[in-house]
Amino acid sequence: MTTSPQPAPLSRRDLLRRSGLGFGMMGLVDLLESGTARAAGQPNFAPRAKRIIHFFLNGGPSHVDTFDPKPSLQKYAGKSLPQTLLTERKTGVAFPSPFEFQRYGQSGIAVSELFAKTAQHIDDIAIIRSMQAQVPNHEPSLMLMNCGDSIRTRPSLGSWLMYGLGSENQNLPGFVAMCPGGHPVKGAENWQSAFLPGAHQGTYVDSKHTEVDRLIENIRSPHVMPEAQRRQLDLLRTLNQSHRQGRLDPRLEARVQSFELAFRMQTEATDAFDLSREPQHLRALYGDTVHGRQTLIARRLIERGVRYVQLWHGAGQPWDSHENIEANHRKLAAEIDQPIAALLSDLKSRGMLEDTLILWGGEFGRTPSVEMSGNKSKLGRDHNHYGFSVWMAGGGIKGGTIHGSTDEFGFAAKENPVSVHDLHATILHLMGIDHERLTYRYSGRDFRLTDVEGEILKEILS
Amino acid sequence: MSPKNSAQHTTTTITLVMLHAMGIVSLLGAELTGIKNGPQWWAFQPLGNAQTPTLHNDEWSTSDLDRFILDRLQSAGLKPSPRADRRVLIRRATFDLTGLPPTQTEVDAFVADGSPDAFAQVLERLLASPHYGEHWARHWLDVARYSDTKGYVYAREEKNFIQASPYRDWVIAALNSDMPYDQFLLRQIAADQIEPEGSPHLAAMGFLTLGRRFLGVTHDIIDDRIDVLMSATQALTVGCARCHDHKFDPIPTSDYYSLYSIFRSCAEKVVPCSATNPGTPDFQSGLLERQTKLNQAMSARREEQAMRVRNRITDHLLAQLELEKYPDETFTQIIGESDINPIFVRRWQNFLTETAKNKNRIFTAWHVFEKLAPDDFASLNNVATQSLKSLPPEALHPAVKRFFQTPPASMREVAERYGELLTSINAQWQKWLQKSPHATALPSAEDEELRRILYAADSPCSVPDEHLANNEWFFPTSVVVELWKLQAEVDRWLIQSPDAPAYTTILTDRSVPTTARIFLRGNPLTKGDEVTRHFLHALAGEKPRPFTQGSGRLELARAIASSANPLTARVMVNRVWAQHFGKGLVATPSDFGKRADPPSHPELLDWLARRFMNERWSLKELHRHIMLSATYQQNSFGPDNASDLTRAQELDADNRLLWRMNTHRLSFEEMRDAALAASGELDLRLGGRPTELFASENKRRTIYAKIDREHLPTVLSTFDFANPDLSIPVRNDTIVPQQALFGLNHPFLAARAKPLMAKLSTTANTSDLSKLSQLYSTLYQRPPSAAETSAALTFLNSSAPAKKSEASAWLYGFGEWDEATRKVKSFTPLPHFTGSAWQGGDAWPDAKLGWAQLTATGGHPGNNRQHAVIRRWIAPQDGMYGITSKLIHEPTAGDGIRAFIGHSSRGLLRSCQIHHSSEQLDLNPIALAKGESLDFVVDIRDGLNSDQFLWSPKITSTAPAPLGGSGESLSWSASTDFRLTGSDSLTPWQQLTQTLLLANEFVFID
Repeated sequence: MTTSPQPAPLSRRDLLRRSGLGFGMMGLVDLLESGTARAAGQPNFAPRAKRIIHFFLNGGPSHVDTFDPKPSLQKYAGKSLPQTLLTERKTGVAFPSPFEFQRYGQSGIAVSELFAKTAQHIDDIAIIRSMQAQVPNHEPSLMLMNCGDSIRTRPSLGSWLMYGLGSENQNLPGFVAMCPGGHPVKGAENWQSAFLPGAHQGTYVDSKHTEVDRLIENIRSPHVMPEAQRRQLDLLRTLNQSHRQGRLDPRLEARVQSFELAFRMQTEATDAFDLSREPQHLRALYGDTVHGRQTLIARRLIERGVRYVQLWHGAGQPWDSHENIEANHRKLAAEIDQPIAALLSDLKSRGMLEDTLILWGGEFGRTPSVEMSGNKSKLGRDHNHYGFSVWMAGGGIKGGTIHGSTDEFGFAAKENPVSVHDLHATILHLMGIDHERLTYRYSGRDFRLTDVEGEILKEILS
Repeated sequence: MSPKNSAQHTTTTITLVMLHAMGIVSLLGAELTGIKNGPQWWAFQPLGNAQTPTLHNDEWSTSDLDRFILDRLQSAGLKPSPRADRRVLIRRATFDLTGLPPTQTEVDAFVADGSPDAFAQVLERLLASPHYGEHWARHWLDVARYSDTKGYVYAREEKNFIQASPYRDWVIAALNSDMPYDQFLLRQIAADQIEPEGSPHLAAMGFLTLGRRFLGVTHDIIDDRIDVLMSATQALTVGCARCHDHKFDPIPTSDYYSLYSIFRSCAEKVVPCSATNPGTPDFQSGLLERQTKLNQAMSARREEQAMRVRNRITDHLLAQLELEKYPDETFTQIIGESDINPIFVRRWQNFLTETAKNKNRIFTAWHVFEKLAPDDFASLNNVATQSLKSLPPEALHPAVKRFFQTPPASMREVAERYGELLTSINAQWQKWLQKSPHATALPSAEDEELRRILYAADSPCSVPDEHLANNEWFFPTSVVVELWKLQAEVDRWLIQSPDAPAYTTILTDRSVPTTARIFLRGNPLTKGDEVTRHFLHALAGEKPRPFTQGSGRLELARAIASSANPLTARVMVNRVWAQHFGKGLVATPSDFGKRADPPSHPELLDWLARRFMNERWSLKELHRHIMLSATYQQNSFGPDNASDLTRAQELDADNRLLWRMNTHRLSFEEMRDAALAASGELDLRLGGRPTELFASENKRRTIYAKIDREHLPTVLSTFDFANPDLSIPVRNDTIVPQQALFGLNHPFLAARAKPLMAKLSTTANTSDLSKLSQLYSTLYQRPPSAAETSAALTFLNSSAPAKKSEASAWLYGFGEWDEATRKVKSFTPLPHFTGSAWQGGDAWPDAKLGWAQLTATGGHPGNNRQHAVIRRWIAPQDGMYGITSKLIHEPTAGDGIRAFIGHSSRGLLRSCQIHHSSEQLDLNPIALAKGESLDFVVDIRDGLNSDQFLWSPKITSTAPAPLGGSGESLSWSASTDFRLTGSDSLTPWQQLTQTLLLANEFVFID
């Protein structure tokens, strides 16, 4: 690759003065101050975490089989629970967890065998056991968890972060959603930017692929070799420079620079997704599986300044175990337990866990009562939005804590119920953002991720 | 809604409701006190009638419009910019009106035209072009949140709308015919009531019916309609008032629920909208067949469901005592046949409320006992029973009286007695029917009165006779699935039949309109006061006259499309202005409320709005006024005089006062269309069904690309395309590297370079200078400067021809491995290259070649053994060649794959079968003659399931280069050589062309 002289950057103030750029031009402003380690927006206060990796167990993992043990279910095995709440389908008698729970770490928190490896890190983890969503259906709950509204088209958490903080690396997309084998239910709506500029939407990566061309759209030219493309860009710059003479629009210069960024992105993105650059022992630690690889890629991305990486379990809704939950949950957990534990170890050894937030959860949990088909048990669990668990670890999180609880059987949140707005408010807080101040004017109204709600969960902050 | 203080605000609302419940204050009155000052806001004032300013020293203005602009400029001490040159003007006007570039011929003609009305002539030509409507329709479609698809729906339902392209084409035609804007709106809101059956104008109602479906939840569908209607036509945000009075604008919740009532009183209906074309007989019979199946199933299922309810009257009445167990639509349950469906519980609830209001004599007892508090029931039931006994027959149905001779012990018992009574009537009727099958009533009038509770058309047992979109909630889930599948058959017939005439989905008024009650804090289960159906308080006054005709939708439409409405004309004039100048006089075209900045030129806005209405709401007249002004024809460089320019930049950097023209950056659609126009490929046919945006054969204008709101191509979002879920008044304007990556690496732009060059080469001789000047003329309608010429020639000279030798060694095809001869039976090249894969066609899997695909590092075999994929390498010269390669098959599903390495004449060299494993497939060097080939073959083994594989062989020539080369060993890598496959690499001239298409001059209009 030949190098070319860099154009003299215009000062941001200069441009703003000359053009009166508003918020809608964030992308442009981002560009003009390109480079690493610079956020487009300013945090409201010192952040505890700079980036997020979100394990999204789409379909809804069962909390009573993972992070919320309910020994009382054993007592009621085969009998009706005192109260069975209304969910999407019929459920019957109490269904004790088929999985063994064991206490871990100094905190002695009990975790099921499904996440035995992750549990080794329990003293870094804060479990919220009293999450609540609004309805027992996937689509609205996915929207609520990702975008803060069950129904209406609203920007996703990642888009809000991009809008509020920008990316730390202009050569990579700042918000990446990886899902092996296709889209989750509701597809790209889960990482939509809605009324925020399209540049803030999540970049979808099908992590089942291993070739970079298929991981990121338009990352390589099928028509022109890199050296020739460099010559094209040099010519382009010459033409654009003479075109700019006398013209007042600052977008002309911004566009020139966007091509230079694009050229650099081609190299950097290729590099970020290339796992062959990782030592063998790390690749083995994460495991040479789809989930191991996607988790390791996530680490390479956040290391390079990507703000928010969402790791979906798979296309559709794999965790939706309406039947035979014992086999299904066991298989799914086995796929991600090792990668999650590996990530936590790896980040810790790099000193990155301090300012990286790890979030684990689905769109809701599952019922403690067994799902019925007519009069027959399906040995599975229905959706449960009344109470479920998520956990967080890393930057700003007080490890080894449990926040809130569900009732004796795990049907509904009991102590300190936490809404998704509360969760979002807390995540934004950890990222240095006051959730009441991160607003965007659309259609005559200042919108927020947390609408008119959201309480920060101070109890889980370190 | 403002985030701040909202908690406090909610509290206030609740307090008002409580006070209201105690009879202390009227809720409506209380709401209105807070907004009394509303109409003071400029946007609610009638249009002003300002005189055109009288100016001194005005040699610039050519119209009254200019005098408004110049007046403000002069007051600020600013000077306008000189007129743009003619090439710039025609380029600006052509893109502005048609979204397309002018041709060199058109530019030359205009530059040479000395007549005083030369520009006016250009405008007339452009306004008469059918491409005007296409371009301006897209602006309206942004506001109308247009999509060809419904958004997320369950698999049972057809996801494409039948009414989408008819609506889009109607908008285009309406604009082309300069349909008066008031008619344009009236038809989009209420065409069903002013147009005859089959009228093409019925398609206009797509405006209301093309919103997202929200999984069928009625409140949300209505919310979307209210939002799009009020944002688009009135620039007001009414949606806030769903939960509470608007925080800043004078819009109380009663206005929201008034509009809600109107839409709640309407049902969807599919109708033809092409009076002249009924479709071929084949189409008609196919449609009839599908509709009949649907209708028969629908009517059987409706009757079956009504019977289910009638047979369980007691349960439905008992359910009234525990309503909290029956959630709203947003809480979706799988409903079985034996379940009590919440919607019938709600229907009975509403019905019982109505019977209280109408003093229905059958339910008198119900309402008397209902009023007793549960704690008092035991002590008061006796008195209540006695008073019932004393009622005359006109106040209490005699049969009911007989059932309440003794006091019931609880409300539960009341419900059971009513249940028993109605159940016995049902049994009596069934028995009667056996005796007289054609009976329409019971012989006794008293019995018949009871029977009608169960059997009248509006009985709470019945399922409304409406489109499935309106009545799907009434059925058990399995029936919903069955009916949607039948509906999908009808929809697909309409959408896919090649000769189907246009159909659309309209709204029609229900025979009995709904009077809605306010949902407290937006929750449909907690209802407040009833509201009348009326127009907005802010515009219709404190006591708006209730609408009286049907749902009131036509009256609503008339209140909007009215010259007395102070918003309608202002809003549209401002939208048009914003498209011409890049920014509106009001900077927020869909928000004229109090949080928005007031207009930069309020008198001008009113003056334009007045003229607009006086000139029969003609949009084309409005374009003329604007584009013929000196203001519009300024250049975008600013005043010539340097100090004037500096002053303008310092005082008005934003150019709100319009001391120059704003530069226009091409939208994605304009850019794509302009590139296709430049290469001579643009297909200018009008209208019709949508096409896949990046299908290689799609050369149509971008407005005809399929907009799937569920799977919007990332490229569109990257280029700030309007989000099809939201009414978008102004698109975002971002410049990000992903846009540049698209330009550089996506096949679209590169693919234009080839025909563009080909076009030039055929007409030009071999002279580079002549070719270059043709290229500039085609792209920019001007000759290249000396510096540009020299830069281009330098580029061409420095560009070595693309290094093709490695790439051309590889071929990508399919065929069958012959077990008997142990050779490849045949090799057929895969026909389509996506930029990252060779496969059967644009779509993958392909209709003919299935899953067959080869990529840089692997691929997928075709669907059977006859369609194995074959990566072929051809030896460029005699030599010794070795192979290193690793074949990986990851999935656990399926039975894995078979792989073979074959030699063109010697046949099988290596083979293996693998499943969820990998295999090192290396080969020690063997001698190959020039032109002999190695085939890397993969097939599906025994079954097609999860057969994707990774295999990118590397071939190394171990002998020294035989042609006197450097002596280094040569190697060919399937993965790195993959990208530049023969015909797909660009020649230096094509690279130059691509660069010129990427340049700012192509994308920005002065």
